[in-house]
Amino acid sequence: MVVDDHPMWREGVSRDLTAAGYDVVATSGEGRQAVRIAAAARPDVVILDLQLPDVSGVEVINGLLEAVPGVRVLMLSASGEQQSVLDAVKAGASGYLLKSAAQAEFLDAVGRTAAGDTVFTAGLAGLVLGEFRRLAVEPPAADGMTPKLTERETEVLRLVAKGLSYRQIADRLVLSHRTVQNHVQNTLGKLQLHNRVELTRYAIEQGLD
Amino acid sequence: MRADRIQAGAAVADLADDRAVGGPDGELTGAAPVPHGISEQFVDSDHEIRQPLAGQSGLGGPGRDGMPQRGDPAAVELLEDQRFRTDASDGRRRLIIPLDERVCAIVGDMAQSSGLQNPLWRAIAVYRIAALVYVAVLVVRNVGAYERPMLAWPVLAATAAWTVFTTYAYAVPTRRRPPLLVADLLVTMAVLAASLSVVGRYALEQGKPTLAVAWHVAPVIAWAVAGGRRWGIAAALAMGATDLIVRAHYDQAAFTGTVLMVLAATAVGYLVGVAEVSQQRLERAIQLEATIRERERLARDIHDSVLQVLALVKRRGAGLEGEAGELARLAGEQEAALRTLVTGRTAEPVDEHAEVDLIALLDPYASATVSVAAPAGAVRLPSRVATELAAAVGAALDNVVRHCEPGTKAWVLVEDEPAEVTVSVRDEGCGVPPERFTQAEKQGRLGVAQSIRGRITDLRGSVRITSAPGQGTEVELTVPRASIG
Repeated sequence: MVVDDHPMWREGVSRDLTAAGYDVVATSGEGRQAVRIAAAARPDVVILDLQLPDVSGVEVINGLLEAVPGVRVLMLSASGEQQSVLDAVKAGASGYLLKSAAQAEFLDAVGRTAAGDTVFTAGLAGLVLGEFRRLAVEPPAADGMTPKLTERETEVLRLVAKGLSYRQIADRLVLSHRTVQNHVQNTLGKLQLHNRVELTRYAIEQGLD
Repeated sequence: MRADRIQAGAAVADLADDRAVGGPDGELTGAAPVPHGISEQFVDSDHEIRQPLAGQSGLGGPGRDGMPQRGDPAAVELLEDQRFRTDASDGRRRLIIPLDERVCAIVGDMAQSSGLQNPLWRAIAVYRIAALVYVAVLVVRNVGAYERPMLAWPVLAATAAWTVFTTYAYAVPTRRRPPLLVADLLVTMAVLAASLSVVGRYALEQGKPTLAVAWHVAPVIAWAVAGGRRWGIAAALAMGATDLIVRAHYDQAAFTGTVLMVLAATAVGYLVGVAEVSQQRLERAIQLEATIRERERLARDIHDSVLQVLALVKRRGAGLEGEAGELARLAGEQEAALRTLVTGRTAEPVDEHAEVDLIALLDPYASATVSVAAPAGAVRLPSRVATELAAAVGAALDNVVRHCEPGTKAWVLVEDEPAEVTVSVRDEGCGVPPERFTQAEKQGRLGVAQSIRGRITDLRGSVRITSAPGQGTEVELTVPRASIG
């Protein structure tokens, strides 16, 4: 499913995906509408533009994950890696790509997202790394569960942030390609889990449960 | 200049809540009927923001009632976008940003009572009460010497009543106007004049105090606070003259009293004037900041559309031959350049600890071939350390450009840890086979490495340069954070 408020982008991406053999089950230009449509169309992968007119990317991702549990969300953004991208990743997106990425890169990213892998740009890796570091220095959460990266995971994340491909990282650290991917995925999983726990705890505290 | 269409109420951001400007979601809200009191800024289709006229802004309290009504709706035509309006008179499209009404209310309040006003009025009230006590004490002590002692008590009572009345009356800002001030002055003069009959000429000439000793200064100060130096001096002279006439005891002390009153009035009036000026400056600065923020917000929106279109062009045209392909490539380059411009953080103003966000200094290096990865927040370092570090990074990147093929990619990673900050610069490999690396080139590369090393060791940091076959060269710069305190 393709969600983008710019009609030409929607068409362009849909066309490329169809040409590459994917089945585009739905498109939408608005966040709320997208969540409604997704509930009906049940896509496996959602290509989501972060800058939608009505709601924030985080809200759309939350809605999509509720409507279609297990859906993989690949975020696209025109303006680059910022706090909003980090927030979206924390909320449950599976990967991120710049809109100006080449077509081949885009299709590769879609393939990997569909297969269940995470798609990171160097900038996003830098943001995630910074986020873990920030969490490490903040006062520990009430239940003492601050997400921590293992040394290996930190190493892998740093190398991604420095622009190495998974293959190169596998070579350098003498690991398999698959292992590297798993490390990156675990990293994201930890962050997303922590985010969910924090939100639940906040909701309970506020009596919103 | 669309002066008639500019609404009163300043375009001022709510200081506490950034989202108040531009509607509840921080987005441009539709052009629904705009309630009275909302200010609008106009943007040309070439994205130039017109400032609301300062005189029309309605600051200063009284002017708010005389605000012009919103422009005639008939002259305004809503387009399907709802954010743009076509101005019927000249046909240009304008972008309207309605601001929150409560924002204008806040500014109005600020305008009417500069920070110094309320405390000064309270001080006057306190003085008046203290002087009343003093007067009461003196009357009690001297009543025996009065010509008409029985009348002293009603006059004292009237003085007390007036004190209470003015204390409550002046507490409300809207009542600090000529009617009350003149009444204050006249009542005080009346009390002074009453001394002539109550205390009696003989007692006064003997040096007995009047019935309003020291209490009569209060309205003079009130005039000075309300109207500035000139009003204050005028009141001081009037009151001084009354005092001298009543006293009929012309010696140095008598004149001194009047002189002191004039001086006090001048000083207070001047002080109030200065406070007003700085208040106006503050308001103008806030207004300017709000305008700038609005402009930036708009710019972000517009830039985003531009980025999307450029990315689209790059996509569609990639792989085309000839001019179309070239155009697509150019579009791609411009897209990268604009993106770094748009998302680059503004280097924060240097604060009292002289700290600067390192990332703001490194963002300019980002381009189509250089990616800058950093944490989401700011990385604050002392200004000197940050600039040196950024310069070292620049030198490393220059090195890549000079010694490698054009188009070689480089990555910059900023890591912020409690004890230190690490910046890594990695290039993807020069593409120049090692055997072609001439001695001179080698020395050139090493030479730059030396200068980088020198800079960083000056900052008590460390440099690590690693080179892996097929994986380029990596320069890792680590700088310790100075412990605070």
